[in-house]
Amino acid sequence: MHQPPQNDPLRDVTRRHFFTKCAMGLGSIALASLLSEQKLFGRESKLVNPLAPKTSHVPARAKNIIYLFMAGGPSQLEMFDYKPKLVELNAQPIPESFVKDKRFAFMDTFSKDRPKLLGTRRKFARHGQSGAWVSELLPHTATIVDDITLIHSCATDVFNHAPAKLFMNTGSSQFGRPSMGAWVTYGLGSESQELPGFVVLQSGPRGPRGGSVNWGSGFLPTTYQGVPLRGKGDPILDLSNPQGVDATRQRQTIDAIRDLNLQRLVETGDAEIETRISAYEMAYRMQSSGPELIDLAKEKPETLEMYGIQPGQPSFANNCLLARRLVERGVRFIQLYHTNWDSHGGPGEDLDKSFDKLCKEVDQAGAALVKDLKQRGLLDDTLVVWGGEFGRTPMGENRETTGRNHHIDAFTMWMAGGGVPKGKIIGATDELGFSPVEDRVHVHDIHATMLHLLGLDHKKLTFRFQGRDFRLTDVHGELVTKLLA
Amino acid sequence: MRFVLVAILALCGFAGQATAADPVDYLKEIKPLLADNCYKCHGASAQKGGLRLDTAAWALKGGDTGPAFLAGKGADSLLVKALRGTAEDMHRMPLKKPPLPEDKIALIQAWIDAGAVAPADEKPEDPNASGSIHWSFIPPTRGAEPEVGQKNWPRNAIDHFTLARLEQEKIKPAPEADRVTLIRRLSLDLLGLPPKPGEVEAFLHDQSPGAYEKLVDRLLASPHYGERWGRHWLDLARYADSNGYSIDAPRSIWKYRDWVIDALNHDLPFDEFTIEQLAGDLLPNATQDQKIATGFHRNTMINEEGGVDKEQFRIESIIDRVNTTGNAFLGLTIGCCQCHDHKFDPLTQKEYYQMFAFLNNADEPTLDLAPPEEIARREAVREQIKAIEGEMKSYLESLAAEQSAWEKSLTPEAVAKLKPEITTILETPPAKRTDKQRRDLVEVFHGQDPEFKKRKAKIARLEKQEKKDSQSATTMIMQERATPRESYLFIKGDFTRHGEIVTPGVPKVLPPLTVTGKPTRLDLARWIVDPKNPLTARVTVNRMWQEYFGKGLVETENDFGTQGALPSHPELLDWLATELIRQQWSLKAIHRLIVTSATYRQSSRTRPELAVIDPNNKLLARQSRLRLDAEIVRDAALTASGLLNETIGGPSVYPPLPDGVMTLGQTRREWKASTGAERYRRGMYTFFWRATPHPNLIVFDAPDATGACTRRPRSNTPLQSLTLLNDQGFFELAQGLAARVLREAPENKQIDYAFELCVARQPSVTEKQRLQELLAQQLATYETAPEEARKIVSSNAGETGDLKQLAAWTTVSRVLLNLDETITRE
Repeated sequence: MHQPPQNDPLRDVTRRHFFTKCAMGLGSIALASLLSEQKLFGRESKLVNPLAPKTSHVPARAKNIIYLFMAGGPSQLEMFDYKPKLVELNAQPIPESFVKDKRFAFMDTFSKDRPKLLGTRRKFARHGQSGAWVSELLPHTATIVDDITLIHSCATDVFNHAPAKLFMNTGSSQFGRPSMGAWVTYGLGSESQELPGFVVLQSGPRGPRGGSVNWGSGFLPTTYQGVPLRGKGDPILDLSNPQGVDATRQRQTIDAIRDLNLQRLVETGDAEIETRISAYEMAYRMQSSGPELIDLAKEKPETLEMYGIQPGQPSFANNCLLARRLVERGVRFIQLYHTNWDSHGGPGEDLDKSFDKLCKEVDQAGAALVKDLKQRGLLDDTLVVWGGEFGRTPMGENRETTGRNHHIDAFTMWMAGGGVPKGKIIGATDELGFSPVEDRVHVHDIHATMLHLLGLDHKKLTFRFQGRDFRLTDVHGELVTKLLA
Repeated sequence: MRFVLVAILALCGFAGQATAADPVDYLKEIKPLLADNCYKCHGASAQKGGLRLDTAAWALKGGDTGPAFLAGKGADSLLVKALRGTAEDMHRMPLKKPPLPEDKIALIQAWIDAGAVAPADEKPEDPNASGSIHWSFIPPTRGAEPEVGQKNWPRNAIDHFTLARLEQEKIKPAPEADRVTLIRRLSLDLLGLPPKPGEVEAFLHDQSPGAYEKLVDRLLASPHYGERWGRHWLDLARYADSNGYSIDAPRSIWKYRDWVIDALNHDLPFDEFTIEQLAGDLLPNATQDQKIATGFHRNTMINEEGGVDKEQFRIESIIDRVNTTGNAFLGLTIGCCQCHDHKFDPLTQKEYYQMFAFLNNADEPTLDLAPPEEIARREAVREQIKAIEGEMKSYLESLAAEQSAWEKSLTPEAVAKLKPEITTILETPPAKRTDKQRRDLVEVFHGQDPEFKKRKAKIARLEKQEKKDSQSATTMIMQERATPRESYLFIKGDFTRHGEIVTPGVPKVLPPLTVTGKPTRLDLARWIVDPKNPLTARVTVNRMWQEYFGKGLVETENDFGTQGALPSHPELLDWLATELIRQQWSLKAIHRLIVTSATYRQSSRTRPELAVIDPNNKLLARQSRLRLDAEIVRDAALTASGLLNETIGGPSVYPPLPDGVMTLGQTRREWKASTGAERYRRGMYTFFWRATPHPNLIVFDAPDATGACTRRPRSNTPLQSLTLLNDQGFFELAQGLAARVLREAPENKQIDYAFELCVARQPSVTEKQRLQELLAQQLATYETAPEEARKIVSSNAGETGDLKQLAAWTTVSRVLLNLDETITRE
């Protein structure tokens, strides 16, 4: 792939001369331009930036992804998948044929007696040209149904949170595989020279279960792992200078590091030192681009209002706006986690007030994000994905209040922007909302399609590890053609 | 000749018409092709579609869809069409594998065209044959050390092998690195710590002939050797201090970590090292240490999430143990067989579950390491608690009668002091209260009773005492069950789908077990380190080699199977493997051998003249510069700053952590930064939460401990720069280095000394100038704004000393600790 540089002894000598005599005087600006042209030493630099933008396999429909991960498994039956029959049969045991030989979470208690159906008490109405059913809990989402595609027939393989989240993120419930954000930045690089290519944000009462493996790079180089952008303190860890170090002193420090590293580079000829020099330059740029990114002072009040942002308060709404700003700055993959959608019916996890609150937290901001991207002409290039690691059962769960168990057979996700149809509804479930009856879309298919929209062929995006070419979609994944506009 | 012709025709697009000029030799050219690509499904062990291809006669007879070929009609033959994917109603063959290259298909076609001649007495495939003669499955043989031209270069056997290879390519080895580089390299490689100035000095002045070897022996005898190489092993063992998954509760298993360090320091032979970790509990009269060693396979994660099927995750941990065993000891990707037969290596799914059966019979208890008298004391306290709780129960029963009187006795003022929800309960008639309301009210009622409070306090006091007395460590171990579990093959790897019952056994491609009766985990461990096992010694020396040269002699250190890389120096690999066994599995003997070789002692300078011939330094014509491992990046800075606490072992510690890191896990865990000397322990002792690992470790490529890690990547990223520049933990070390330099060096030697503390060598003239320039620049800023100096120095700095100097030196120290060279082994 990369041609080793032709060696020229004379130039080597000149080079050495240049640096021993002149390196000290080399200003940061000169160096920065040298580095940016990647022509340090008057030759094509050996520096291969692993995050440099790469060409795609197929024509790309989207450049970036914003993935709104509803951690815990949101109930599709309270939000999108309208099932009057389920309401009608409320409190009756689910017919045996549905649950025979099925495994669920909380098997010991959940399946002791045949669980009873739970009809939603939420009101549903049709919206937009598409006539999509959306519940009263999502008034703002209801206004964007003509910009999004709803998929009612999503399915996954695993029903416990941490493994399921891993499965949704890496295509495997076993640890050690790269997350999709890592795959995408590995496949496409990043357009941003000032921010990481894969950024993770989090809101809600707790972090997503499983923690950092959800955005890990697995066996891919660490360069591709997700970088958490934090709601409090430094937006990126260690982004601000240590105590007593102002911008000037930091620059003086980095200049000295650079000059001494250059000397060592000349001495040893090790290209890794070039990479390190440019890493320090990028780190320095991140130190100003990071704070600039999270500074919402220049956003118009209408914008903040549209998202429902309370200035200074970390929230999903805040993160949605940051996601737009990240896209504007060329960040490739942005993942927002919002917790906690695990509505079993325990304290704080009910389908009543807790669920109202959660819906409120994401509804306005999620819709605002789509609208905002659209009005700025960014939606065509940006794929927005909304969904959890699984859905909830049509059966209720017998806890303190109303709740539902984890459900892997059918749940709803939506997508918008970058190459996805507008106002389309894909898939349908049976009258109880238990299983897909048309267009079942498995996690692997979602992955294959997302990659395709980004211009990546899921069968070609591979990495050799332990003697085998691994893919995000393992040996599965069918393109969901209905998801392509 | 004919091969060339076929190739040319193929290039010209005439491959299809490659009728042979020379007859194709069936046995030499066709049969091996069919054997490699078709026999698995159409051979002795399986005949998919009724077809068998392991003799030409059977192929002609064909299967359900007719004869595989008709002699003379190559292009129309089903076999050829199937291989090209042009047969109707049939998948392209081989199924789900890459197609055969067109020249190979053309060869088969040519053979058929020429009449499909094959010997009449052709032997079919032997279903019992091991099926493979892949190099790594043949036991290593110890070849003679090759002759070399440059006779004065080799220092030991290793060098004969590497030099012979270089001489083949007409490449001269690199010159030896200078002495300072050598001592720093050795120190970092063997101890994970840079050398101290005095040590460098002593080595420079030791002109005795065995100075280098003496240094090696000193380092191998250092207790820090066990830390350094222990950490490599802990990568494989997936060691961590928490359970992983969503809850990620803390666990106590650091005694296992300390066992590894100790075992390596005592050079416990690798065969015993292996046996004790895999089956220490099964050894006759197993010692406590041997039981602790079984923590190796307790380092799997535990899913404590609500609603999980415990059996599912017990099985997942055993799957991890099988995969880790395959990976760590055998260098095999046996994990591929969880769901199906291995696609490339001669390993079957059944064999996978036979390995599984070995590991499926253990209980997973916690071993209490307290001395017996402590255990007795704790039990006595527990008895007391029980007794009070018993009394309490009857007391509360008697108290219940007084509740309604109490409720009535409450004055409005007293009610006002209660929480609003309690007030609500009191307002509700007793018959209408919910269960929860009743419980809540009883709690309040009890809470105001003096006798109840007294007893409760006593229990709390005893519990505290018990806890205080439970400070002795516990550790997680394996313990074989009396009655073994039944093990099954899981269809498609799904534990809910039982296939046939399997009993413990080892893959057929490897030497058989030699035990009578039902083999146990101990037999598996002994089989792994049996000198007849062709893989274990090779895999082990290869990983050692990898730590010294950046990559192994087999670059795919975790895959010695057919898809792995071939060894760059096969004879050397085998020589080292046999040497390990000859040295009674002494790891230190192999370490000594490698680091005393001329190959190891070469300079790491790049050699532009080799950039084209050997860009990846496969031929070992020089050493490699290697960025330090995550923990060692910290250790190097700790050492330079003089703050390093050299204590070995003990519970994990909490160095400074940026705010907010712990919020990324589901359950927010506490991180109270250690103070005093505990704050400055080596990186390997940092408490490792799997869900929220310390970012300084992860950013420098420490493994996430979710599975065995056989090699760490070495990334080079801006986040690393930010960490070294700005992280509080590293900044403190810069402050420490500044103070140390001012404290320990005379003014005219300060720069030299600081430089030496970081990279062991003296600065060049230009380097020194640059640092002086920086120091002067910093001092100048503090001349004009002296109050700035106070801000950058440590709050512990006190009022004494020259604050401006300290402040300026803090910046110089930051520069030095950030140098590429400081975090690189040259």
